[in-house]
Amino acid sequence: MRQQYAWRSKFLVSLLVFLAFLVIAQIVRIQNSEEAAIFREPRYATERKTFYPDRGDIYDRNGHLLAGNQTVYEVGVNLNDVKDANAIAMTLSVQLGVDYAQTLNNIINPPIPDLVYLIVAKSVSAEDAVALQQLKLAMQEQALPGTSGSLTGLEFTAHPQRDYPEGALASNIIGFVNREGRGYFGVEEKYNSLLAGNPVQVLVPTDPNKAEDIPHIPDGTNLVLTVNRDLQAAAEETLDGALSTYGAQGGTIIVMNPRNGEVLAMAVTPRMDLNQFWNYDVVYQNASEFNRAISVPYEPGSVTKILTMAAALDSGTVVSNTGFLDTGSILVGGVTIKNWNEEAWGQQDMTGCLQHSLNVCLAWISTQMGTQIFYGYMNRFGLGHLTNIDMAGESAGRLKVPGDEDWYPVDLGTNAFGQGVAITPIQLLAAASSIANDGRMVSPHILYSMLREGRQYNVPAQYAGSPISSQTAQTLSNMLAISLENEASLALVPGYRVAGKTGTAQIPTPYGYYDSTRTNASFIGWGPVDDPQFMIYVWLEKPSASIWGSETAAPVFSEMAQKTVILLNIPPDQVRQLLVLK
Amino acid sequence: MQNINHFVHAYKIAPWRIQRQWIGNILLAVVGLAMVATLYLYVTARAAIAGREIQELTASTRASQHASADLQTRLAALTSTSVMEERALALGFEPIKPGKVEYIVVAGYMAPQPMILSNGPQPGLRAPSIPPEYNQSLLDWVDEQVHSPYLRGGLQ
Repeated sequence: MRQQYAWRSKFLVSLLVFLAFLVIAQIVRIQNSEEAAIFREPRYATERKTFYPDRGDIYDRNGHLLAGNQTVYEVGVNLNDVKDANAIAMTLSVQLGVDYAQTLNNIINPPIPDLVYLIVAKSVSAEDAVALQQLKLAMQEQALPGTSGSLTGLEFTAHPQRDYPEGALASNIIGFVNREGRGYFGVEEKYNSLLAGNPVQVLVPTDPNKAEDIPHIPDGTNLVLTVNRDLQAAAEETLDGALSTYGAQGGTIIVMNPRNGEVLAMAVTPRMDLNQFWNYDVVYQNASEFNRAISVPYEPGSVTKILTMAAALDSGTVVSNTGFLDTGSILVGGVTIKNWNEEAWGQQDMTGCLQHSLNVCLAWISTQMGTQIFYGYMNRFGLGHLTNIDMAGESAGRLKVPGDEDWYPVDLGTNAFGQGVAITPIQLLAAASSIANDGRMVSPHILYSMLREGRQYNVPAQYAGSPISSQTAQTLSNMLAISLENEASLALVPGYRVAGKTGTAQIPTPYGYYDSTRTNASFIGWGPVDDPQFMIYVWLEKPSASIWGSETAAPVFSEMAQKTVILLNIPPDQVRQLLVLK
Repeated sequence: MQNINHFVHAYKIAPWRIQRQWIGNILLAVVGLAMVATLYLYVTARAAIAGREIQELTASTRASQHASADLQTRLAALTSTSVMEERALALGFEPIKPGKVEYIVVAGYMAPQPMILSNGPQPGLRAPSIPPEYNQSLLDWVDEQVHSPYLRGGLQ
């Protein structure tokens, strides 16, 4: 009986052995096939992935977020999975406002042959994306068993996008980031590398068994600016009001700490909502308009007289009570220079020259100094040089000096009262900081500190030399304060002693002469005089209500200064003196 | 006694006895291999699951960071200057005029300082290096042992 079934057992064993052999042979064949050999190559063992860090945030000096990141969605259509193009086009048209006919046509007839994925919208808000996703799920549930929903093929990809919670506030300082993640203008461009961080490329094993160390990708550096958000808002409000009140075509207000160069506010017009950066071309005609405070040099007029007087006092050419008989005109380089009202002001001292803003007096002072001393001081004040403020797009302006082809001897006289020289507001503010800061000129800057990997690095104040002595600075500050008080200037700030100077500059035309009907009105001032804590520069372009800086820019300075002392908690002079006595 | 020896000898050379010995040895080898294979499969599966969990946790961490950034940005928008000004005006507040400000001396008052966003170094986020025991397959380990300098030296 046993022998009877032995052949069956042998047959079964042989069959199983044969099958096992086949299986093993197949395994060996697959293992040694050309396809398997390709996958054993090192280039297929790993996959190179690039991890992009999140862009760093930007804060104001009090921790208010000025630029952050928000998740938005790219909505696209996977053309191979589309079941109902009409439903997708209709839904996207209703939900996202895209053109129905164009979307439908692009799905049915892709604009590029063999296109697999069609991008419909790149920056869809989370709310809209969630609503679309829920609609897609609802359609899927309603579909017949075993079939796809009518929105099948609609896909969503989340990605971070730059967001500016304050909209247009400080837009000229911050700049913006385009869809490709590159910063343009302001801090976004200047510190683009720091903010963007360093993308990390990692070789990730394709074998899931090979767990690898998690690559640590540091986020971009967070930046804290010196700007005070509330002061910036006040400056912009004041500037907008001034443009409306005085009919100016444009304007700039800068508030800076003269002790360390921290820019506390920098308002310009026009401004743009940074969340709609694609409107840039609509708002601006050229790049320099984005931040006129640092990019547009202009002839500032009489505000530069404070630099001429500082040079004259410091060089010993004059003292505060040096007398000058104003005859209403002076000949410099063969050209007659007259006062702003073309009248003679008689006997004056140097304070009177500043108080009445006498061109003739200042031209006389510069000729007394001579070209070497005068231009030496202007050079030390930084005219014609970049201040190196940490924002993109700064202009160096232009200071013609003897030896230049376009310099003429009359320029010595006209440069003394701000004609024939092109200066940006930030340059003049930096130069005048030497007068407000005991002779020490600060380097204006916008970055307060950087935060990276949990560490905060505060940017120290930097100084650009001492063009004048401390005594000269104090003497001139006092002269300017007296001149404002004697004049009962509209720039005065109740309760606070301030120093400053107006400027009314005719605008040069392309034909080589000055337009007498339109002016640039400016004012530069600081206070409190005994302990300066703020400097303010006001520039109104082509005001129509009055051409004079004393009637337009000066009251704007006063208004801005009054807001500044409140927001910076600077008590009036009397209160401060009482506090010191206590 | 001779009968007993014959019986023992017959027992030892019985065909079914030799077959059982062979079967036993083969089964032992199969069980051994199965145990090694099971262990290898278990460790491999655990490593794969751990790797997958790491990926999921990393994605979860990123998602949380993005959610946090979204909320921070939204909060900033809700407390932006224009919104806060509107709310303040709606609540009956008005911008203060310089003449209305009253300054009083408060002992120990510290003027607001610029933002300090960092409290010092934070613990490093970098994961410690994973020892080879946790990511090395059995075959990798055998390969390493075969190619280790010590063993190569021993074989020379």
